[in-house]
Amino acid sequence: MDWSLLSWLLSFFLLIALIGFIIYQLICLADLEFDYINPYDSARRINSVVFPEFGTQGALCTLFLISGHWFMFLLCLPYLYYNVRMYSRRQHLVDVTEIFNMLNWEKKQRLAKIVYLIVLVFLTIFWMIWSLLEEDM
Amino acid sequence: MASERPGPPTYLGKPTISPFPAAPQTTMPFLSSGPVVGSEGTGYRANTPSGSNGPPMSSPPSTYASPNVGVHQRFPSQQYPAPVQQISNLRGPPAGQPVLPPPVLPSAQQVLPPPGSFRPQPQIPSMPMGSPPQSANLQPPRGIVPSSPLESSFSAPRSALQSSLHGYPSNQANLVSQVPPMQSPSFLAPQGGYVPPPPLAAPVGLSSREQMQHPGVGPPVGAMQNLVEEFQSLSVGSVPGSIDPGLDPKALPRPFEGDLMPNSIAKMYPLNCHSRYLRLTTNAIPNSQSLLSRWHFPLAAVIHPLAEAPDGEEVPIVNFGPTGIIRCRRCRTYVNPYITFTDGGRKWRCNICSLLNDVPGEYFAHLDATGRRIDNDQRPELTKGSVEFVAPTEYMVRPPMPPLYFFLIDVSVSAVRSGMLEVVAKTIKSSLDELPGFPRTQIGFLTFDSTLHFYNMKSSLSQPQMMVVSDLDDIFVPLPDDLLVNLSESRHVVDAFLDSLPSMFQENLNVESAFGPALKAAFMVMSQLGGKLLIFQSTLPSLGIGRLKLRGDDPRAYGTDKEHALRIPEDPLYKQMAADFSKYQIGVNVYAFSDKYTDIASLGTLAKYTGGQVCYYPGFQSSIHGEKLKYELARDLTRETAWEAVMRIRCGKGVRFTTYHGHFMLRSTDLLALPAVDCDKAFAMQLSLEDTLLTTQTVYFQVALLYTSSSGERRIRVHTAAAPVVTDLGEMYRQADTGAIVSLFSRLAIERTLSYKLEDARNSIQQRIVKALREYRNLYAVQHRLGGRMIYPGSLQFLLLYGLALCKSIPLRGGFADVQLDERCAAGYTMMTLPIAGLLKLLYPRLIRIDEYLQNASAKIDDFGKFSKSLPLTMQSLDSRGLYIYDDGFRFIMWFGKMLSSDIAVNLLGVDLSTFPDLSKVSLCELDNEMSRKLMAILKRFRASNPSYYQLPQLLRQGEQPREAFLLFANLLEDQNCGTCGYVDWMLQIHRQIQQSA
Repeated sequence: MDWSLLSWLLSFFLLIALIGFIIYQLICLADLEFDYINPYDSARRINSVVFPEFGTQGALCTLFLISGHWFMFLLCLPYLYYNVRMYSRRQHLVDVTEIFNMLNWEKKQRLAKIVYLIVLVFLTIFWMIWSLLEEDM
Repeated sequence: MASERPGPPTYLGKPTISPFPAAPQTTMPFLSSGPVVGSEGTGYRANTPSGSNGPPMSSPPSTYASPNVGVHQRFPSQQYPAPVQQISNLRGPPAGQPVLPPPVLPSAQQVLPPPGSFRPQPQIPSMPMGSPPQSANLQPPRGIVPSSPLESSFSAPRSALQSSLHGYPSNQANLVSQVPPMQSPSFLAPQGGYVPPPPLAAPVGLSSREQMQHPGVGPPVGAMQNLVEEFQSLSVGSVPGSIDPGLDPKALPRPFEGDLMPNSIAKMYPLNCHSRYLRLTTNAIPNSQSLLSRWHFPLAAVIHPLAEAPDGEEVPIVNFGPTGIIRCRRCRTYVNPYITFTDGGRKWRCNICSLLNDVPGEYFAHLDATGRRIDNDQRPELTKGSVEFVAPTEYMVRPPMPPLYFFLIDVSVSAVRSGMLEVVAKTIKSSLDELPGFPRTQIGFLTFDSTLHFYNMKSSLSQPQMMVVSDLDDIFVPLPDDLLVNLSESRHVVDAFLDSLPSMFQENLNVESAFGPALKAAFMVMSQLGGKLLIFQSTLPSLGIGRLKLRGDDPRAYGTDKEHALRIPEDPLYKQMAADFSKYQIGVNVYAFSDKYTDIASLGTLAKYTGGQVCYYPGFQSSIHGEKLKYELARDLTRETAWEAVMRIRCGKGVRFTTYHGHFMLRSTDLLALPAVDCDKAFAMQLSLEDTLLTTQTVYFQVALLYTSSSGERRIRVHTAAAPVVTDLGEMYRQADTGAIVSLFSRLAIERTLSYKLEDARNSIQQRIVKALREYRNLYAVQHRLGGRMIYPGSLQFLLLYGLALCKSIPLRGGFADVQLDERCAAGYTMMTLPIAGLLKLLYPRLIRIDEYLQNASAKIDDFGKFSKSLPLTMQSLDSRGLYIYDDGFRFIMWFGKMLSSDIAVNLLGVDLSTFPDLSKVSLCELDNEMSRKLMAILKRFRASNPSYYQLPQLLRQGEQPREAFLLFANLLEDQNCGTCGYVDWMLQIHRQIQQSA
């Protein structure tokens, strides 16, 4: 059990957590669209996981950086940059007053994130297996 | 030239007669349009051969007009017989009409498309007409000699309409001789592609008139006539580089009549609610998405649910009692005139989702032979488009709330000094008797400067008790209740409080404003019940949460990407508070008074999401603006208000409302939460098509506003309207409603200024107009070789001017220097809620010369109509010997010419203008002389036409700079000013852009 495998495992779980956060937000948005919850609750729930999502993503990047997986780190950078930009423009939280006008955009943005994360998950799994095999050899 | 200005013969009033040496190609249009008639099934249907009483939709395409002479030519679709003398005056001999090169033709002849009765009609005997003009026969005068037996039956409506057409030309005669009679949309003949309206569509006669008059005439003629009536055009000088713009400014269309409500739809669907409640941007819904995408205007509805109805037309109130309100099981549509009863009256079919519902036993009535309920006439919900249902307890989540007014008043030094506090206290006191909802009305006050002052108004006290809270970080409410009291019980305490309020803070020198904490405190007090919160703010919030920065003084931000940030709230707290207010049914009205920057952008957010309004009185001085504040505050307090309301609009299958514009909070995808809504608020919403193809022939809309009336009754106000589905783009343009489109444009543009530059917002308006007119042009011009002419639908003749007016309106005008940021934001908030009529008045105000009337001793106020003639908003309208009133619905500007006879000024103002008094300090009041009384009567009359606001007269002497330029000249929108283009340039610019990629 070496450091490399451990780092892959850890990043894998971080990625799964990230995907979980995003799916939760998407569910809230979908519920809102179909009128199962009101905009106040929906916005509150989504906003409550925005910071955990950003934190997890930051942790993932740091992990890739210190474990020396440069390629994966570079892949993570656009996401990080996007989050930082949203935060610095104070657009990271969902605005309850405009949530219906922004609904489509918010959904699209999160779907794109999901696709991106799933690609990362597959890459991580690939590298994890690779490092396992390497260890065996 | 000849090649560019084609076929004269085909338009109305220009019989094709050979003396058009330069324009020989008269046949072209026929040849090109002939085949089309037969081949296109949808848009163009062939005429019924008999042509005598075809259904409206069988009238052939109307696709052509080729006015080649004349500056401004229009082809009103209604060729109602106009008075004979008019014809002889205005219409020249049909022959001998020279084809003049552009630009301006001073001719009186081309003016009126000759009234129908005398229209010489070029008739083409048979389809393959190879032969040009000579086939023009004169059509027998229609109005006089009915050409078919059917004709007589239509003479009545026509003569009725005739009178309305009549006045206009005479009105205009001296000014624009070639402007033809006012076109009112009601006369538009529904044409090709029209889906036949339901059985109620009465005006079959009107629409099929064309054919009826020409029994036996083949399709081409009908086609030609219709196309002649299709649109209006404007010849635009096509000489490149010429200095003369080639447009006669006098001939441009101007909306002197103000807002014209479309009434063709009311004729077609007499059961629709009145158009004061609901207007569509076009009264013809496209049947497919591809058609919709070619209509470049927004497809939308403008809804004014509580519009004030004139006496006798009030919305009837219906109480179903124990039966419960009858609604469709599936789509929850309310019972309305368009539902149909079947199965002997035991079932009814929903007009929106076509589900068969059972009729409850208590509501059952037998049907008569025609399928109508026998009690139909006694049931307003089945005969009227607008009704109000009394809602049973199922429609309440809590007992209906009492009307509740909470006042949050700034008492810092500027509020006291300007006199605001005194005026507010007096006005509230005088309005107490008229507050709606006696005896349940509740009232409360909170004042603030750097601390918060609560008032205990318990009825057992003789004097109000003041409690000061100075801890701004941890706000608490010092008393659990008694801050909000029942007005009728505590009336004496409230009176005592209002009497002492101005003197209490007389010596206050506090300049700080703890607005944010005060807002929080007000929220805590009100959150139990909801109600209306009136905020009086005269300084920039400076303490505690929600404090704002001076950010409005940065000219460098303009023109950059950061520009829009100045127009959105700076602190997210305001949005958050607004959302909370809305959640707890609190409506906020903001009154702002500062002469310095107060960040209306942030304060207004509170009103924006709670259905409120923003009233801004820059540099408030009670001696000058006191009357205005008094009137508007009193109106706010006493007008009919709907409490804890929600509004939803339903529509038929295949269409869906997508975006909403106005002051409200969306509670779900289609539910507008309106904590307090009143008769001065309108809302706009855009439609989209869900299916690619609409199969129904009619789309129904139903607006339902569920609210608590001031009397404590839960009610549902329901407005139902129907609109036909069409397959023809031309029909959509024909049925377009300029007012509604302008309202949508203004709302979209103002929303755009919140995320983009002002310039982008202006450009987007221009681009949409250009795109739409280009599409329209493609529809007609190419096929009929309209070359250098600008064409537009008659229904949209004022749209271009309104577009220009919108670009020059306060929220969108110029850049940093043109309007102060606060004024811009306040005007933006106001325009987002304005009903259509008010908006159009604001965009194209009235300018009227009144000195002649005042000097005419015998003229009475009832004769004022004869003297008052709206003038174009240009400097040329101003004569230095005159006295003018500029009325935009929000203020009067009175302009005194330099050479105005001095006794007028002395009589009206009591001062001599030759002494150069400072007119900004002179206030207008009634003096003891005939002239002054007459002026007051005029002002009173003007005010009565727009009771929502108080128009404060501002006096202005010619040459009094810079006030003159700022107050009046900047608003003369047809002139070139502040680096913007004038009306003529605007038309040319649009025309060029249309042609660029046409």
